[in-house]
Amino acid sequence: MGFVIPSSKKKHYLSGCDWVINLLDYMMKQTTCAGNMSQVVLVFDSVINLSELQNRLQRFINNFPAVYGSIARDINICPYWRIPEKAEGNLKLTSYNCPGEGDLWTLLGKCVNKPFKDDSEHLAFHLINIENRKSCLAMTFDHRLFDARGAETFLKLFQQYLENNNDSAISTGIPFIAPAYLSEWIKKFLAGRNVNRKIVSLSKNPPGALPVPGDKSKEFKFRLITFNRQETQTIYENAYKAVGYLMEMPYLLTVIMQAVSELFKKRNAQADSYLAAVSIDMRTSEDVKEELFFNHVSYLFFQAQCDIIKNQKELTNIIKMQMYEQVKAGIPRDIMEASHLTRIAPLPFLKKIIDVPLKGKIATFIFSHVKKNLLSPEIMGTGIENVFHMPRVPVPPGLGFFSNYFNGRLNLVISYLDGLISDEEVNMLGKNIREMMIEIPSPPAGEG
Amino acid sequence: MTLQNIQDKLIQGIAAITAKDESSIAPDVPFHKLGIDSLGFVEILVFIEKTFNLQLIESGLDKKDFETIRSLAAFIHKKL
Repeated sequence: MGFVIPSSKKKHYLSGCDWVINLLDYMMKQTTCAGNMSQVVLVFDSVINLSELQNRLQRFINNFPAVYGSIARDINICPYWRIPEKAEGNLKLTSYNCPGEGDLWTLLGKCVNKPFKDDSEHLAFHLINIENRKSCLAMTFDHRLFDARGAETFLKLFQQYLENNNDSAISTGIPFIAPAYLSEWIKKFLAGRNVNRKIVSLSKNPPGALPVPGDKSKEFKFRLITFNRQETQTIYENAYKAVGYLMEMPYLLTVIMQAVSELFKKRNAQADSYLAAVSIDMRTSEDVKEELFFNHVSYLFFQAQCDIIKNQKELTNIIKMQMYEQVKAGIPRDIMEASHLTRIAPLPFLKKIIDVPLKGKIATFIFSHVKKNLLSPEIMGTGIENVFHMPRVPVPPGLGFFSNYFNGRLNLVISYLDGLISDEEVNMLGKNIREMMIEIPSPPAGEG
Repeated sequence: MTLQNIQDKLIQGIAAITAKDESSIAPDVPFHKLGIDSLGFVEILVFIEKTFNLQLIESGLDKKDFETIRSLAAFIHKKL
């Protein structure tokens, strides 16, 4: 007979993956001006009414007391999300006037770099009026509350709420309790052994990483690279030719790794290999609403030796094979399983443990591609022109690349810690990535 | 193994990977329309290796062989 840990109606026990996100939040508060936060930005084709948006958002959020939750440890030592009886906080919606699109990035950067006031605030909205002709809504969120896809789904739910105006039904189907996962210990330890072996094998060739600036109050800066429909189509075709059918993610990663290696070369920075940590969504498209809150991500790791980076064919093949081998070995599932074991450790202690094998160099950069989003093309009668993400990246490495599709177009955001790379270097990175992605390869000899 | 057996096994595997009902997966719908991305596709290739003992990742992943369940089943049938 199994021993059953009681699960209270008010408790959402954190998964191991949530605890890793909490660790990253702790690390970022130690090394930068704020925690592990991100921002989804919706760009509208006209100005949206502030008071109407405020009223509707407040009513919508009142259906989700979990938004005002905080972390506690239970008597069984499992960390959990303490959910208040009612959503009692006030919606944080700030409005700004932006004199021109040139200032928009500075403003958006300020929004995502502003720390939350305390441990029960996890969401803030910013409505930016751009020269009275366009506007954009930025939802800044604490990664402890949602992952990127969860945040998009939350906004999709808001769209549905606006269409149906039905308070009682909007949170139906979202479970706010979660088990403590205090069983199947052998499975967890075996998964831990596999993850440990993977980390040890990655640490044999310490990855190159850019030196993190010493100033611990640094903010993140961002650069958006947009591609039109024609360019996005070219990228699909290039991915197909270079890697194969449905292989966009490995293709984007290959191009980014090559561009990062150029940056290292220009700096004369020493590196034996480059290591990309890629976060992946472990939900299937069917269960996004049921798993909207908290984190449902795992990781894949891609490592390439410096001497093969220039050879695109070899690099794409290595990345494709590393992806296959990791999926076959079940690494993403093992990371999710094994990370349950980390919940016993307090965050400062856990940070010391993970620093050991890779000597503080977790990766050269982070990459993530958000699956096709589900947002409808308008909100409150206003058309959505574009949607993109602005995540603050864990430090180290303090450098990340985040892609998503909206309305048939690809966006790529470069996120970097101020001082890690210069604005000129980001310009060069963006230019190289753009050129490599939309370059039309010349046909092989004899076919032209 | 007949072509139909291969197709049925593929539908079972893809249903498990995408958390969809088997009856909702039509053999002629392209994979990208089933909401399958790079990671999902690699999971399908791993499923094929474990089920049919065929490693396809190093083949060209040519659209004409890999685009639908029916074309993929025919490709596997030829290789077995």
